[in-house]
Amino acid sequence: MNDRVKHIFIWPAFLLVLVITLFPLIYALTVSFQTVRIVPPTPARFVGFDNYADILANARFWGAIATTATIVIISVLAQYAIGLSVALALHHNVPGASLFRVTFLLPMFLAPVCVALIAKMIFHPVLGPANEFFSMFGLENLPFLTDPNFAIAVLIAIETWQWTPFVVLLMLAGLQNLPAEVFEAARVDNISAWRRFRDITFPMLLPLSAAVIFIRLIEGFKIIDTVFILTGGGPGTSTETLTLFAYNEGFKKFNIGMTSALSFLFLIVVIVFGTLYLAGARKLTQRYAQ
Amino acid sequence: MKNLLLSVAVLPLATIVHAECLPDYTGVTLTISTQNGPYVASALQTAAESWEAKTCGEVNLVEFPFGELYPKFLTGMSQQTGDFDVIGFIPAWVPDFAPYLSTMPAEMQQGEAWDDIHPVYRERLMSWGGEIKSATMDGDMHMLNFRSDLFEDEANKTAFMEQYGYDLAAPITWDQYYDIAEFFNESDAVNYGTAEAYARGGQQFWYFFSHAASYTNNPSNPGSMFFDPETMDAQINNEGWLRALEEYKRGLDFGPPGSLNNGSGDVRPLYAGGSVAMNLDWADSGILGATEGSIAGSVRTAMLPGSTQIWNHVTGEWDMFDEPVASPFLAFGGWQLAVPIDSKNQEAAWSYVAELTSPELSGAAIVTANTGVNPYRLSHYDNIENWLSIFTEEEARSYLSAQRASLDAPNVALDLRLPGFFSYTEILEIELSKALAGQVEPQEALNTIAAEWDELTDEFGRDSQLAAYRASMGLPPLN
Repeated sequence: MNDRVKHIFIWPAFLLVLVITLFPLIYALTVSFQTVRIVPPTPARFVGFDNYADILANARFWGAIATTATIVIISVLAQYAIGLSVALALHHNVPGASLFRVTFLLPMFLAPVCVALIAKMIFHPVLGPANEFFSMFGLENLPFLTDPNFAIAVLIAIETWQWTPFVVLLMLAGLQNLPAEVFEAARVDNISAWRRFRDITFPMLLPLSAAVIFIRLIEGFKIIDTVFILTGGGPGTSTETLTLFAYNEGFKKFNIGMTSALSFLFLIVVIVFGTLYLAGARKLTQRYAQ
Repeated sequence: MKNLLLSVAVLPLATIVHAECLPDYTGVTLTISTQNGPYVASALQTAAESWEAKTCGEVNLVEFPFGELYPKFLTGMSQQTGDFDVIGFIPAWVPDFAPYLSTMPAEMQQGEAWDDIHPVYRERLMSWGGEIKSATMDGDMHMLNFRSDLFEDEANKTAFMEQYGYDLAAPITWDQYYDIAEFFNESDAVNYGTAEAYARGGQQFWYFFSHAASYTNNPSNPGSMFFDPETMDAQINNEGWLRALEEYKRGLDFGPPGSLNNGSGDVRPLYAGGSVAMNLDWADSGILGATEGSIAGSVRTAMLPGSTQIWNHVTGEWDMFDEPVASPFLAFGGWQLAVPIDSKNQEAAWSYVAELTSPELSGAAIVTANTGVNPYRLSHYDNIENWLSIFTEEEARSYLSAQRASLDAPNVALDLRLPGFFSYTEILEIELSKALAGQVEPQEALNTIAAEWDELTDEFGRDSQLAAYRASMGLPPLN
């Protein structure tokens, strides 16, 4: 009797989750094995793994992975390094810590499109303040957004600027939850500040650090707004990220089958990067735990 | 009895109220859709108010971001949802939309208002497969904008004559254009020579097309600018296109640093703010310069430069001409309106279109700020008085005569209109920006584009694409 009642309660929720979560994924997966074009309207036809094979043979796809990985890895490392340093400073109650806490968090609240528009003005090759700054050193009119290397550096800088506050916020919360008695004992033993950080603070924060970096890596792979506004993926495809590539396939070419396949490949790329990262992070955490 | 008398008394009143609605569309609600305002949408709103007052119908204006228009319209029409009674869209989409659009009523295709539309719009851009499927509500083409204060300055004229051996005036060939750009770029009179759009996603390809039209739109082989109209083979890697790309790239030397990242939105203030002596753009630069810029009174407009050589893809040689042949390019072609077949209010919808495109309302829209509506009727070009709220008389004459001359040019070049337009232009944009950034040689970029265009054509169906291309170029179907 009890079992039957249980099913009455479980099945509606299960079906709801199935419809809301799984159905779109299963539908997209089905479409990824078909040629479906809205423009010109093409009837759906099963093509097996052709869409996946076409994408994997496409240099633009691998270029987009390389660009995305470069931006994400460098910017997340920078976010973590700067974020942890700022969090440590704020944790030690530097003068004006409350003001800094609020100020440092502001970039995170801005929409990426607004950030990109602000950056476009800052990095304007003639009128932007970045040009004025570099002009003081004799470096006038640098091609901030038109040279592939400069453009990627600018994108990394913007990502770092906007998302470091996220790292600060979480690391500060982590620092405030560390047991105070451990640090007091270290001070009594006259252990230097650097060793306290290296041997106590950093290892104790490591699980949190691993989680924060993981979240930023996953989020970072979704970068599209800033690239779209600042460079449009150009020159050529040198700053085109995976999501922008998928957007162009889906909303410029309306090649729905290909776009679905691309979405799943994107998922695989993120899973691969995520798994590699988690494996490395686990090893590191275990080593410090010993 | 009392009630009967009251009814009899009220009946004439009701007839009077009814008579005010001509034609009477009481109870009809039109759903009209276009891009987010103010551009275009504000013109649709103004016309909606006018139409509602005349017909007692109602209009529901639905706006979407530009990027969403195409899939929303196409999906709605192909699934026969009846979501829209009137759609505002761009000519490049006509090949994809045409099967789902109703034909303009015969009574709208006659009379003074009809004859007043410039024939290029009326007979070529509004027509598809021999039927009028849409109504132009905005005229668009690329033009050359220049500053009269610089071009008419005696010191500049003398210096230019000494340096180049001919008079400083609006260029009629691209060689002259680059001479003038170089002259002003080196001069102290102005910061830079010229400005064009080069950014990927910044409408760069229309600027490239404007150059290419002069070297590839051969009057001996109509419709052969983009594809061979017999085989649908891409022509974009021939010598005419190569020359156009090399010249287009050369313009980077005469613009501000960072021009490679300039879209059309950047090109306008550069001209209107007085930073450049010339620019290429749609009509917007002239309006901006005269109303909000620092060059008011000095805004001058000319037809795009032409060439004395045009590539002949049939002979594989340059055709030479004694005089420069103007091949002004109708970039974009201007916004259009159409009534989908699945609209349940087709008659009322076309009546709304007639109201919006009437000489009276369109005449007001072209001189109203932020409507985004540019001239397309003969009366728009002839009525100088109408423009004096924006321009000085000289500016207005220059602005209107350049547009009229472009449309009247015997070798006017039509924009690419083909199913899968964005698939073709995306390939183009990527390779074009690589070539402009110096990542690949121009010929290599063009060869890649041609190969990928051919692949795309095969994928979409060569025969159907060829038929659509010929229709877009006004050529009869092949047997």
